[in-house]
Amino acid sequence: MAQNPPQTSVPPGNGAAQPRPASRPQQQYSQADLNRIVMEYLNKKGFHKTEAMFRLESSNSPTPAVPAVSTATTPMAGPTEILRPRDGMLPRPDADRPREYIQSLQPPRQIREDEERAKIENDPEVYYRAYSTLRSWVYSSLDLYKPELFRVLYPLFVHCYLELVSKGFVAQAKTFFDKFLSDHLALHGVEISQLAGISLPGHIRENKLAQAYRSKEYRISVSKTSMYLLLHFLLENEAVGGSVLIGIINQYLKPVISTRTERVVREGEADPNEGLTGFVANTTEIDKFNEQSVLLGKLPLEPEIEKEVQAELKVKDENTEPVNGKTLVEEFEELNAPDKDSPSADSIPLPMKDASDIKRMILAVEDSRLKVKLGAIQASAPSVCMYTFHNTNANLTSLEFNSDSNLVAGGFQDSYVKLWSLDGRPLRALSKKDPHNNSDSRKLVGHSGPVYGMSFSPDNRYLISASEDKTARLWSLDTYSALVSYKGHNQPIWDVKFSPMGHYFATASHDQTARLWATDHIYPLRIFAGHINDVDCVDFHPNSNYVFTGLSDKTCRMWDVQTGNAVRIFMGHTGPVNCLAVSPDGRWLASAGEDSVVNVWDVGSGRKLKSMRGHGKSSIYSLAFSKDGSVLVSGGADNTVRVWDVKRNTQDAGPLPEAFSGDASRDGMGGGADGAKKPTEKANRKEIIATPDHMTAYFTKKIPVYKVHFSRRNLCLAGGALNP
Amino acid sequence: MTLIEISQNLFLFPGLNPKSYLPLFLHVLYTSPLLHYHFHSKSPPTMEAPGKVPLSHTLWSPHDTVKDVAEFLGINLPDDAAKNLAMDVEYRIHEILETAIKFMRHSKRKLLTTSDISHALRVLNIEPLYGYDTSQPPVFKEALFGAAGQTLYYLDEAEFEFEKLINQELPRVPRQATFTAHWLAIEGVQPTVPQNPSASEIKSLPPISRGAISSILSNDLLSSAADSSNGASAAQGEDSKDLRQKKKDKDVEIKPLVKHVLSKELKLYFDKVVEVLISSDPEKESLREAALSSLRTDPGLHQLVPYFIQFVAEQITNQLRNIDLLITMLDVISALYDNKTIFLSPYVHALMPCILTLLLAKRIGTPSKEGSSEEAAQELMKSQFAVREFASVLLEHVLNSYGSSYSTLKPRVARTLLRALLDATKPIGTHYGALLGLEKLGPEVIKLVLVGNLKLWYKLVIEDSDRTEIEKQILTDKTVEVLSKLSSEIPDIADQDAMETDDVSTEIQSKLAERIGESLAKIVLERPNAKQICKGIFFGEVNV
Repeated sequence: MAQNPPQTSVPPGNGAAQPRPASRPQQQYSQADLNRIVMEYLNKKGFHKTEAMFRLESSNSPTPAVPAVSTATTPMAGPTEILRPRDGMLPRPDADRPREYIQSLQPPRQIREDEERAKIENDPEVYYRAYSTLRSWVYSSLDLYKPELFRVLYPLFVHCYLELVSKGFVAQAKTFFDKFLSDHLALHGVEISQLAGISLPGHIRENKLAQAYRSKEYRISVSKTSMYLLLHFLLENEAVGGSVLIGIINQYLKPVISTRTERVVREGEADPNEGLTGFVANTTEIDKFNEQSVLLGKLPLEPEIEKEVQAELKVKDENTEPVNGKTLVEEFEELNAPDKDSPSADSIPLPMKDASDIKRMILAVEDSRLKVKLGAIQASAPSVCMYTFHNTNANLTSLEFNSDSNLVAGGFQDSYVKLWSLDGRPLRALSKKDPHNNSDSRKLVGHSGPVYGMSFSPDNRYLISASEDKTARLWSLDTYSALVSYKGHNQPIWDVKFSPMGHYFATASHDQTARLWATDHIYPLRIFAGHINDVDCVDFHPNSNYVFTGLSDKTCRMWDVQTGNAVRIFMGHTGPVNCLAVSPDGRWLASAGEDSVVNVWDVGSGRKLKSMRGHGKSSIYSLAFSKDGSVLVSGGADNTVRVWDVKRNTQDAGPLPEAFSGDASRDGMGGGADGAKKPTEKANRKEIIATPDHMTAYFTKKIPVYKVHFSRRNLCLAGGALNP
Repeated sequence: MTLIEISQNLFLFPGLNPKSYLPLFLHVLYTSPLLHYHFHSKSPPTMEAPGKVPLSHTLWSPHDTVKDVAEFLGINLPDDAAKNLAMDVEYRIHEILETAIKFMRHSKRKLLTTSDISHALRVLNIEPLYGYDTSQPPVFKEALFGAAGQTLYYLDEAEFEFEKLINQELPRVPRQATFTAHWLAIEGVQPTVPQNPSASEIKSLPPISRGAISSILSNDLLSSAADSSNGASAAQGEDSKDLRQKKKDKDVEIKPLVKHVLSKELKLYFDKVVEVLISSDPEKESLREAALSSLRTDPGLHQLVPYFIQFVAEQITNQLRNIDLLITMLDVISALYDNKTIFLSPYVHALMPCILTLLLAKRIGTPSKEGSSEEAAQELMKSQFAVREFASVLLEHVLNSYGSSYSTLKPRVARTLLRALLDATKPIGTHYGALLGLEKLGPEVIKLVLVGNLKLWYKLVIEDSDRTEIEKQILTDKTVEVLSKLSSEIPDIADQDAMETDDVSTEIQSKLAERIGESLAKIVLERPNAKQICKGIFFGEVNV
């Protein structure tokens, strides 16, 4: 144990004269001797607290064989300098001080010290020791600082591991990794598994993530006090390896002093402001990046079309009574009320609308008027019709319902797409001679790999499917045959979505790009590149001007179709994102994935509005907003369909619904309180506590829910395959 | 860079062609329990000798495997090289696994299959491995080897004879993928159908996999689901109330089975009303009237409906002797029915047995004593019939209002009635009740169900039985009365012709005898409205 003299205020003579002769005797001193000397010194100088701490630390320092820095080797600092950081627990005026402080540790690096350090750093044990000391200190620290300090542990853990590997101490690296990995699995499971395989220095050079850790700064936000506490602790324990950690902090970490003390990031939740700067996003300032202006209003209709639809609706109104006190024209006007921030009507070129389009719009208006009102208050939770698929032999990979809710498509591992009619009507092709005209299912054969994603065109005349064979295929639902095969991706395609206006579609691929296509071009119109991992899912904004992507790198992004640039990055998931849903008004985005949390984002600001928990610890496969946007439904591998009150806990929230029972525990954490009440419940059967916006859950009989979908009248359809 | 290239760069041993060892490593990948370890975090069986420095996160020992493979290929690998090679192999396997997991995830599976690995190999530009069945998960066998009794895992590879395989019958074509649909939830409530799991089934799952079962609206979604199912099958209401009482005594902490707890007022109301209804004290007559009128008009009794229905059902089954009480019970049903604020539809199936019991019960009221006078018996019969009349009126009422919403209700009732009617062993009361019931079901039913069976019935029940004359008379009269119901349905135009001749033509007479039996036909023809009855019976068939 030695007091480190970081400051330049050390008398130069002192520093120069002492170390050289002392470096030899150091070898002869045993650990006990050293301890005795240091204690004597501390006692003499009256550093009682430090001494007490030293006694404590030295009593449990595991291995005595440290080539420790002795008093002799280290130039002594003036007591004031050492004491300052401790006093520094009181807030200091300048926020950036710690950073300067660590930087100021560097100057007195003289050759001998370098040797010394190198010696320390080349000892594989030192990382283990340093990290475990720090870890136990963090665990025993005050609850006030614990979460913050805990966040610092992760980058240190990774760097210690990488250092060990790069120096070739493979066995030690593995022991180290295995010992401490469980701490970080919950928050960083994805990265951990990426790093786990690394065992040779060559792998570090090859592994992208490891490279990123070595070449980019890891930003952590800590409060001033925590930072001082940490540094002081490391300084005190320099001999036990603290210097190694300080080195890492200095080289790879970028502590950002957060002044926002009121901001409480919950334990077990990722902070979007932390992480590798410039790795996930090509920018260091996520908040600033997300300030780019976007136009989220709905796409205005062409005036002629609008007039035509209105005229048609007027005719209909004369023949029918108003439903729910609304005429069709009123409903139409409500649906098409102009937004302030609408993109211009010609922002994306679309084919001319014809009579069938107008017919479809009229149908949509009629259905919209008849839709069931859903919500937490004075309205019911949605009705769900469950479609269970049998005899699939675990081969069904994806499901998709069409917007008329009379067709369902299933993508199979065996490279084909199967269509079923939901109402039992036979699927007739235009050709009268088609031999399958009387059957209510169709097989579309053409792909040469598992079909991972499908999407119906809004006019329900086409189906697009994406496959492992790197192509997307367009199928006609008039003839039930393949029309086009779109080649362009270099890797399997995971997802495909038609634009809400038709004509365009977007694909998401393993090759880390998403692409925008038009059905009449065989090459992509835009390539959205810049993702650093697989693009797992893709969705359009309702005005078709933006594309959202969900990634394996735990982020979601929003891309401008016009420019092909990313305009938003949504960070906060702790696992790959499997599915996305954009609210019908285009303001909110919901995303969910492997971390079994549904996040709701404000698209305008790029901020997370809330996280909705309640799913069991497994993947969420599908999300769907109700047509009025008040209710979100999710389905996943925990065999449930869950209903969420979207508006709850946001600024748009209405009054709270009254619980049915007069139970005292109505604080939304009711489940938790409930669980605590039951003493019979075994301790290991920990209940998952739902967030207060969890409206209800519907359980299936062990059928994972692959897809949830809302019909235009707000009936929810859910689908899943029974895999006995 | 592919695995091969990297291996080539790293280790260039003369005589060791990387291409030759790669498949073997990948074979190891398939065959090693590593895959399983990766997905089932159970502590894996370890193959590492104790005390050895673990070089791998996983259980298989890459170092040993590399040496084994080298030995297999006849190469003497230096220890250092083997170690390095092993570490690299492990990294590659991690890489392949990571990619394979992506394929698994997108196939929405929880089990990694060999096809996922094949796809991953393809993506990573590695030569695929052939010969691994993708249709079923690989089966590992265990074997012990060595003195230490270490466990060795190997893939069970069956040997096939080509000849046999070719001559074998073709396997059956797998069944087509199809779907079935059911209601997972209706307006937020999961119906208790076999396709939906029961609350206890869900509760028994570990919470970590089933997720939360609480929500804004209720702390326990499952108990509220159970509650609504209780509400629907009202019969359980009373039981669960008792159960709740018992449980409360035992353990205050336990939540009641029934979610909606009755308020004190409602409970008091229920107890009072029940007390008044079952008391036979004539002084309480007015109170009973008051109770019934309260049931008929008071709003806010919905919560009590299951309890009342349960109460009525109990009274009716246990007190069939007590005619006054039975009438009171029918009054209760009728009162509940009349109450505009009560939505009785879900309870129809619980009400039906009550009404039908009173209509068809073998014996209602005290059995006539042996020595009692004829008149007393008559009196008894009359009061008994009054109950049945009342029940039949209620039946008609219920059928008229709910017959359309439950399509199977009417046919089921008709079938029950007919079965009672055709059973010759049943006493007169049952037959009378059945006739009453059929009468109330309307002319369609009378014509289709009754008339067709009348001949047989009359012969069986009236002529060949040992009933008293009075009984026979009553039944015959009732039958004719029911038949005359038919005539009232005939439009008036037909009547005009009837004015011309009062008598029924002989042709029709013989037809009638054929249809309903001679003796009954004779009785019918004696009636003044015989003509109309005939018309009713033969309406739409022949011109009478």
